[in-house]
Amino acid sequence: MAIAERGYTHWQGTLGTGRKPWRVIAGQSIRLAWKRKYFKLAFFGALFPALFFAGGIYVSERISDFKEMMRGAEKFLQINPAYFQAYFGSSFLLFMMMVIMVGAGAGLISDDLRHNALPLYFSRPLRKRDYIGGKFASLAFFLLLLTLAPGLIFIVLKLIFAGSFKLLADYPWLPFSFIGWSIFLSSFLSLYTLLLSSLGRNRRFTSILILAVYFLSTAFFGIFFGIFHEPAFCLISIEMNLRQLSAALMGAKPLFNVPWIYSLLVLSAIMGASILVLRKKIRGTEVIR
Amino acid sequence: MPTAPFLAVYRFSVKLVRRSKRTKVFVAVAALPVVLALILQINRLASPGLNLDGLAVFSNVVMGFSLQFLVLLLSLFYGTSVTADEVDNRTLTYPATRPVPKNAFIIGKYAASVSFLLILLLVSTILAFLILMVDRLSYGTAWAFLGRSLAALSLGTICYTALFTLAGTFLRKSILFGLFFCFGWENVVQYFPGTTQKFTIMHWLKSLLPGIEAGMGPSNDGTGLLKFLLFRHEPSPVWAAILTIFVITAIFLGLACYIFSRKEYLFDE
Amino acid sequence: MNGNGLTIRAEKLGKWYGNVLGLSDISIEIGPGITGLLGPNGAGKSTFMKLITGQLRPSIGTVTIGGRPVWNNPEIFRRVGFCPEQDAFYDDMTGREFLAGLLGLYGYGPSEVKERADRALDFVELTEAADRMIRGYSRGMRQRLKISQSLAHEPEILILDEPLNGLDPLSKRKVIRLIKEYRTEGRTVLVSSHVLPEIEALTQSIVLVHQGKILAEGDIHHIRGLIDTHPHIVEVRTEDARKLAVRFAGEADVLSVKFDEAEGTVLFETRNRDRFFERLTRTAAGEDLDIEEITSPDDNLQSVFDYLVGK
Repeated sequence: MAIAERGYTHWQGTLGTGRKPWRVIAGQSIRLAWKRKYFKLAFFGALFPALFFAGGIYVSERISDFKEMMRGAEKFLQINPAYFQAYFGSSFLLFMMMVIMVGAGAGLISDDLRHNALPLYFSRPLRKRDYIGGKFASLAFFLLLLTLAPGLIFIVLKLIFAGSFKLLADYPWLPFSFIGWSIFLSSFLSLYTLLLSSLGRNRRFTSILILAVYFLSTAFFGIFFGIFHEPAFCLISIEMNLRQLSAALMGAKPLFNVPWIYSLLVLSAIMGASILVLRKKIRGTEVIR
Repeated sequence: MPTAPFLAVYRFSVKLVRRSKRTKVFVAVAALPVVLALILQINRLASPGLNLDGLAVFSNVVMGFSLQFLVLLLSLFYGTSVTADEVDNRTLTYPATRPVPKNAFIIGKYAASVSFLLILLLVSTILAFLILMVDRLSYGTAWAFLGRSLAALSLGTICYTALFTLAGTFLRKSILFGLFFCFGWENVVQYFPGTTQKFTIMHWLKSLLPGIEAGMGPSNDGTGLLKFLLFRHEPSPVWAAILTIFVITAIFLGLACYIFSRKEYLFDE
Repeated sequence: MNGNGLTIRAEKLGKWYGNVLGLSDISIEIGPGITGLLGPNGAGKSTFMKLITGQLRPSIGTVTIGGRPVWNNPEIFRRVGFCPEQDAFYDDMTGREFLAGLLGLYGYGPSEVKERADRALDFVELTEAADRMIRGYSRGMRQRLKISQSLAHEPEILILDEPLNGLDPLSKRKVIRLIKEYRTEGRTVLVSSHVLPEIEALTQSIVLVHQGKILAEGDIHHIRGLIDTHPHIVEVRTEDARKLAVRFAGEADVLSVKFDEAEGTVLFETRNRDRFFERLTRTAAGEDLDIEEITSPDDNLQSVFDYLVGK
């Protein structure tokens, strides 16, 4: 009787088709981020504006019931592109998204660099785009939950509470704006975070970099705008560029009299630079000089 | 004669800080006020019609940027690094198994971080001042202004670094705490009216700034060099500010030493 | 075991990590010489190492070196050197800078730091690579650098936590040789490992740890001899395997005999090792049987360990 070999044996089957390694990386990164208590806190904190604005949509259809309480708020509660721009372009929401990027994204690549995990990844049948795509997807997941999901829910709530399709009749491009803006914002912030995460092996350092660059750009804008009163300086600030672009996409009045296409170019340049740097930094072998 | 443990740790830490690649990044960040000053000054020279008072720009812009942003950011990173770096990199075992008291370790590393930050910030601020005031260097009051500004930056560095050193000794997520403290608490509560603003370190630092001695009136009346920086600031007396800053720094450092000497640090295996 | 050197003493030492027991009721005295601390992963070796080097505080019991408690007593480290298990170094340093930086923490002046650093680097054969960045070192070089920082101040007690981990056979031999060289008169060396042959190559004096408790301590052979319940196995190589087997089969203390005529080997299981060897020696001295080799396959650490943990 033959005695079976109890050591390691090669698997004789065939690899499954349609495999998507980036989904594995994305799923793992999402689960890791979600495990942290403070991250859950920050994420639910970031949902407050969405709840507030959703409440606003409800109240807008019941103004007379809330008239006493809402004296002076009627103008704000007109549900139009400016209302949605107030949500999508709000400083608080952008700040909370940055905090979430720090929590979920600062260590995404820096931890892999620190623990020398890249050779482990690339010793599997994994391409660079799968690796970057997976990390990108984990960040975009959280960001879309804060942008696309509330945006579509706002529209649905308005339709339900108004009992009519007037919103869509007046602004038929609105759902597409929400989708377009959410995808662009999520892509930008994800690539921005991955770029900075790839620049260091120390998660604390990359955490600070992510927020510092964001706030520094706004601080410099504030200084130059305060002195020269030239609106073009808004192109220095990441936050202002994002708000300019979101106003353009929502069809609302922009903050500054600067063509939105310039903001799009600035942000796209940062995304392009991010992709170039990531392609250079992410490699399976470490070169020691 | 053998070197005192604190001094030995200080020298070792200075070497580590100098060697670190991240130092180059932070030197570049600390140089931003100088870059800013250069840009503004070049603009002023290129556009004679531009009404830009060097001292006003220095006091509101450079000091505002340095005190409310740079000091916080740099102190946050270097303060938390005192212990967090050693724990994250799993190198804490090395100094922990040398004949160095734990207090000396904390104080030595803290002192090295503060020394480095002070050099960065003070040099950058002085250079920015010289650039902006190049045509008014004989103006005596300006130098007194600079002196008080440097004192505010120095005490801010010392105090914030001590706070973040304390945070780094017992909080796993000290950076997150620091970010919420800096961009949440300090940046918001300092503008609250009444006694509430005294619960921020920034209130006491701003109380050191020139022309804001108690009794000279509130700073939000739209006049004065620091109208932007000291918006809604209700100053405390200078002597109280200095005393408070030193006392809370000592408390932070004392607590950091106490916690570090009693805490066990387990590395993630 | 006590000589003129310092002694590591633990009395009823215990350590809990929350609800997880790291060490339980350890009472031991380790004196001069090389002692091997042995046990599988998770046995408590690193916990014990961390307790005796002051990185962890005992939950219960005491641990002293030279009669002085270890926790929060940094002065003790003038006479104790520790090589940690983790492969961690300060970034952006050469080997020499790393060593000199740590030597500076002892309060030595610059010339003494240089002299000690050179000596330590020479001892671990890293002089040529001393001025290269540590990130360019091989695993073996990094391990030797770690050892050099633990002995550069010439401590009386050297504690090495898994010093042979991840090394190739050549590097292992080098490190084993270094450790043996360091053990001079009065010095105490404590080495931990989960790889039994490595400890056997270093020392016969061992402490066996399993699930947070000490299973046995002392000389390997002595421990083996104490294990009455388990028979000893003796393998004899001879051309007359059958004859030898028959000669001993009738003895009361011989539990089993297996022989292989083709291989020329006889395997005896005996309860009384000393009596058996006495008879075997007489047989070998006689003229009728030609015995080529006698070995005790289970008189080694693996077997001792397996018996004690009940495998």
